[in-house]
Amino acid sequence: MLVIEAVDLRRTYRTTTGVIRRRPLDVEAVRGVSFAVEQGELFGLLGPNGAGKTTTIKMLITLLLPTSGDARVLGMDVVSQARDVRKRIGYVFGGDRGLYERLSARDNLRYFAELYGVSGKAQRTRIDEVLELVGLKGREQERVEGYSRGMRQRLHIARGILHDPEVVFLDEPTIGVDPVGARELRQTIADLIAAGKTVLLTTHYMFEADALCDRIAVIAKGEIVGEGTPAALKAGVAEGRVTEIEVFGVDDGVLSRLRVVDGVRAVTVEERDQKQLLVVQCAADRELTAPLLAQLDGFEVGRVTSREPTLEDAYVALVGAGD
Amino acid sequence: MRRWLTVFFVGGSIAYRGLFNWIRPAMYIPTMLGSPLFQLIFFTKLGQFAQAQSRDFYIVGNSVQVCAMSSVYGMTMAVANERWFGTLGPLLASPANRAAVFLGRGMPVLANGLLVSAFTFVAGTLLLGFRPGLAAVPALALVVVVTVVSCTAFGMLLGSIGLRAKDFFFAANLAYFLMLLFCGVNIPLDELPGWMSAVGRCLPLTHGIAAAREVAAGASLLHVWGLVLTELGIAAAYAAAGLALFRVLEHESRRSAVLDAY
Ligand SMILES: Nc1ncnc2c1ncn2[C@@H]1O[C@H](COP(=O)(O)OP(=O)(O)OP(=O)(O)O)[C@@H](O)[C@H]1O
Ligand SMILES: [Mg+2]
Repeated sequence: MLVIEAVDLRRTYRTTTGVIRRRPLDVEAVRGVSFAVEQGELFGLLGPNGAGKTTTIKMLITLLLPTSGDARVLGMDVVSQARDVRKRIGYVFGGDRGLYERLSARDNLRYFAELYGVSGKAQRTRIDEVLELVGLKGREQERVEGYSRGMRQRLHIARGILHDPEVVFLDEPTIGVDPVGARELRQTIADLIAAGKTVLLTTHYMFEADALCDRIAVIAKGEIVGEGTPAALKAGVAEGRVTEIEVFGVDDGVLSRLRVVDGVRAVTVEERDQKQLLVVQCAADRELTAPLLAQLDGFEVGRVTSREPTLEDAYVALVGAGD
Repeated sequence: MRRWLTVFFVGGSIAYRGLFNWIRPAMYIPTMLGSPLFQLIFFTKLGQFAQAQSRDFYIVGNSVQVCAMSSVYGMTMAVANERWFGTLGPLLASPANRAAVFLGRGMPVLANGLLVSAFTFVAGTLLLGFRPGLAAVPALALVVVVTVVSCTAFGMLLGSIGLRAKDFFFAANLAYFLMLLFCGVNIPLDELPGWMSAVGRCLPLTHGIAAAREVAAGASLLHVWGLVLTELGIAAAYAAAGLALFRVLEHESRRSAVLDAY
């Protein structure tokens, strides 16, 4: 069964620019996005800042009306059946706002339990359950204003799954959470899937997406530029191997010479302290270390390694292709 | 229905604790008790000095009007703060009945307004010699309840406006002083220019204060029921307008992201 369906979704924001003479400015945040998520699937939405991920989620959770296109969640239209959709979905936005600061975690949860119609005896047990699940048990009587960023994020997650929704939308759920906590939260997400829920996740952590997602769509400038399983994305874009070369002081001229070496698909540079790391995507079955090093003759070269492509390589190639 | 009621009462009271900025004693005592007390004494003494109206005219007028401290400021915060706290998104994403959420916010504000008014009446009795007579107290209490209800309903409309407007404290301040001037609190409506008294008659408080003065002076409820019903009608109109505006804003925010602080 298809749980989430987006068909040619578009969303334009109208804003203004200029202080004195205000001119209207249309921002096309989402430009024709289509995808489908099956029951029990964990679907990842990756993309750079401003790509339109949050906007897409806001349309799916009924907070924003699409400018055009259609979206259905659990078979219900997000525009005409918004209230029915809301009852059966949960969502978590990253960040430390969106909580009642002066209230304790328990009262925050009690409030949302009322809003979602979880009342009476079920409410207490369910609140204890989610507090346990996100690791806030024992601190639930404290006011949220004294919470750390990660604790707030955990509370957001507890709030999102409080009413045991069938579909959960997670927008950067692990942002600001410490490594151990993030690992626990990833386990919580995996448990949701194990319990038969459907999850749509956005994240900027590639290893997280790689570890969790069944399928991923990469979105850039409001359009989907790649979609598939993590393995397929890695194979499809960064087919072959990745050679990483540590160098000192290379310039753009060298880079453009490297880019035209036969068999090279893409070269990116990461600055590291005094040195630079060249990440070279190579075509399959080609040994390019020697010709690459030949181009770097005269520069100080450090460690050279060759490895399997990661999801990050695939992502960089997909997102970079549009520039 | 039961669900509607729990959202209304339980949800309303939790949200109030979360959203009402002045709930701590250090803020509550000066704003909700101190400032009404000084307002009462100031206008009563000023009125007695000017010998324009009787002492009780000022005591009743101000003791009823001070409920606006809660109705105007408290109610505006209880709605408008949702946006500035970033909790509006989660609220609007929930399936909760909007009328229950919105109107439920009024309950604690109403209770607080009654407390503020009662406190000021007691202060008037103890400090300024207000003696309505025991027989008048039940009728006076009823009139005050109705008036605080309508004042709270007016606050709901302000709250919705505050959700959209950026500087809602400015609007709340303005509303408080407008009520002081237009609603016959310290100046009888007949003494105001025609347009001002016309505005006053469309605001909450005006009819309630008039009724409260009469029952405090010994008139029976039967004598003032027209004023009381008018006050109730005004209450219903403002609550409906506040809720309608809230609904419109929710729709506008989905359409054009106008409330996008979340
Ligand atoms: N309320 C708004 N009004 C105007 N423009 C907006 C609004 N919200 C988002 N945008 C614009 O829409 C585009 C997409 O934003 P969106 O928040 O969907 O990106 P995102 O993919 O979630 O990015 P990030 O990874 O930074 O969270 C951006 O250009 C952004 O500036
Ligand atoms: Mg985002």
